[in-house]
Amino acid sequence: MSIVELEDVSFQYKGSKEGSLVNVNLNIEQGQTVLLCGASGSGKTSIIRLINGLIPHYYSGELEGEIRVADHDIKKTELHELAGTVGTVFQNPRSQFFSVDTDGEIVFGPENIGLEPKEIRARMNDVVAEMNLEEILGRSIFDLSGGQKQRIACASVAALMPNIILLDEPSSNLDFDSIELLRGIILEWKRQGKTIVISEHRLWYLKDAVDRVLYIENGRLAKEWNGEEFACLSEDEVKAYKLRPVVLEEELIKEIRGDCSSSVCETDPSIVLKDFYFSYKKRPYLILKKKFKESDGDLLNLNIPELKIPEGKVIGLVGPNGTGKSTFLRCLCGLEGDCKGKIISDGVTYKGGQRLKMCYMVMQDVNHQLFTDSVESEVMLSLKDKDTKRCDEILDSLGLLEYKDTHPMALSGGQKQRVAIASAIASDAKILLFDEPTSGLDYSHMEKVAELLKQLSLSGATVIVSTHDPELISECCDYVLGLKHGKVIYLKESARD
Amino acid sequence: MKLDPRTKLFMIFVVSLVVMMSATTPFLWAIRLSITLIPIILLITEKKYASALRFLLAYGTALVLTFYFLSAESEGLIASLLIGYCGIVVQFMPALITAWYVVRTTKIGEFMSCMQKMHIPDGIAVSLAVVMRFFPTIKEEYSSINDAMRMRGVMLGGGNVLKMVEFRMIPLLFSCVNIGEELSAAAITRGLGGEAKRSSVVELKLGVADYLLMTFLTAATVIFVMFKYCL
Repeated sequence: MSIVELEDVSFQYKGSKEGSLVNVNLNIEQGQTVLLCGASGSGKTSIIRLINGLIPHYYSGELEGEIRVADHDIKKTELHELAGTVGTVFQNPRSQFFSVDTDGEIVFGPENIGLEPKEIRARMNDVVAEMNLEEILGRSIFDLSGGQKQRIACASVAALMPNIILLDEPSSNLDFDSIELLRGIILEWKRQGKTIVISEHRLWYLKDAVDRVLYIENGRLAKEWNGEEFACLSEDEVKAYKLRPVVLEEELIKEIRGDCSSSVCETDPSIVLKDFYFSYKKRPYLILKKKFKESDGDLLNLNIPELKIPEGKVIGLVGPNGTGKSTFLRCLCGLEGDCKGKIISDGVTYKGGQRLKMCYMVMQDVNHQLFTDSVESEVMLSLKDKDTKRCDEILDSLGLLEYKDTHPMALSGGQKQRVAIASAIASDAKILLFDEPTSGLDYSHMEKVAELLKQLSLSGATVIVSTHDPELISECCDYVLGLKHGKVIYLKESARD
Repeated sequence: MKLDPRTKLFMIFVVSLVVMMSATTPFLWAIRLSITLIPIILLITEKKYASALRFLLAYGTALVLTFYFLSAESEGLIASLLIGYCGIVVQFMPALITAWYVVRTTKIGEFMSCMQKMHIPDGIAVSLAVVMRFFPTIKEEYSSINDAMRMRGVMLGGGNVLKMVEFRMIPLLFSCVNIGEELSAAAITRGLGGEAKRSSVVELKLGVADYLLMTFLTAATVIFVMFKYCL
């Protein structure tokens, strides 16, 4: 019996020019695990939103066709009526939490539907035991890593015991080990006989968990594989569909997990980093802050006495979540004032605020670093000599010239990222830092970013990119720098072909 | 020490009420000071020594200035600036610090449960809870934006005050709107806003500390009002 039925469904978001779904017909049986894949903007998320009712009740637009989910006619069902039937894990852990503490988040759903406190507590205990969450109970959401947040999000959905579970790009912000845990949760749900629909770009972790894979292109179901066919797809076929790889190479997995043997290779020419120590634990002080030293050992979140970084190359910065990758980037570019590290390049030493001038970081959420009202002025803001010709050149090289007068916030995510990169180029920084630039991007966008990073390094900049993305490393990184507990474990040439 | 959210709300109310009425005699000042001391002591019990100390210093300085260096006859620019500073600190800081303490030490679940006990409609309770939830988010977003501005060297907006504000507010508003929209979508799919009466896992019970504090606060307010207006 079909639990989800989409009959000839077309949908167009209010204010958009094209339909995001066109004549979709889809039946999902009870207990099936279905993967939706395809490029960004192909309509994966819209299908998820149809099943949980956010379309048409929250995101409005023109909807045609019939949608039935577990005997509810979605068009006539209020959203809250679906709460115990359909559960959704969203992409961004930052914005799906209602509570500020983990316990409160898990019980939030059951409280909303008015269950007895005794029943809620029993459910919470079950969920906590099932997902091994004991260690992160009673914590503030803001202190959790991305992976931990996503597990709490899964738990808060599971506490409502829905029969249908939807996951919208759940792995976007997760490292390798957290993805493994997520996989475990999905397999457990599958074992319990839940119907699962996952929209995802990263495919390797799902290959032996899914029963059906739907390929969506321009709002249409373009292709369907069953689980076995999907796991056997050849590399070329996967590439032809512009999908991310289904199988990962062992060597890459090791690299991305920071599991390689410790060794630091010598490179020439190189940029020398000296005395990078930093800790988030504040020490009481009266007038002068005490400097951190190597001997502070375990107190430090970053502990790098000296490191030579190959100049003019793309360096992938890897390691598990919470191991100090972002801290390293922040200290390097001088955002953490307490870190007194020096950068020596071409015989010149850069300290303190000078580091801010020679480094430029493109943040993970580029929305935070776009300030002005047009793409052009965004680049001009960074250009020291305000040369309009140079500005046009930069925009042209990134394919942004036609958007010159557009407001940055009106652009798509990928375009915004390129605007941020354009202002990085304009700032003339020697070292360009990227904080997980490809999390949540589909294959072709990821390829574009990889291509850009390569170009940047060819034009002389040293590019350091922190990432959990094995594909990005194999596409563009010359070297891999492995961090663990704030220490450099290895720096070696990438295993890419 | 664990206080009931109802006690905390009552405390915000009393502290704001008493510090807003002007104290005219030494006795009234004594009551007012003792009420101001309560949030400080509570902060210390929560091990927030730094905030307690900072508040104490700011408040103490303002008091000393008011009593020893300023009077109704003070003139000149510096004196008027100081009067402004002292007025704001003495009048508003106690209420602010109490509110800050309450926000920091109350979980959303406790707050919702408290609202239910007081029979506040779910709509109002949820909106207030979202506001509480949003403070830390705004702080997080704001500090990322600040970092980005430092990196781009536009902390001072190129010397333009308007730009300085614009560069901070525009990205902040955009990300708050986005987060808010995603947050409410996520909350609705988990049944928020349904017809069912919300239940609550947190069971609130007034303890000895709650009764003691409430009695003290009530008594202090009554005495304050009596001595100020009736005698």
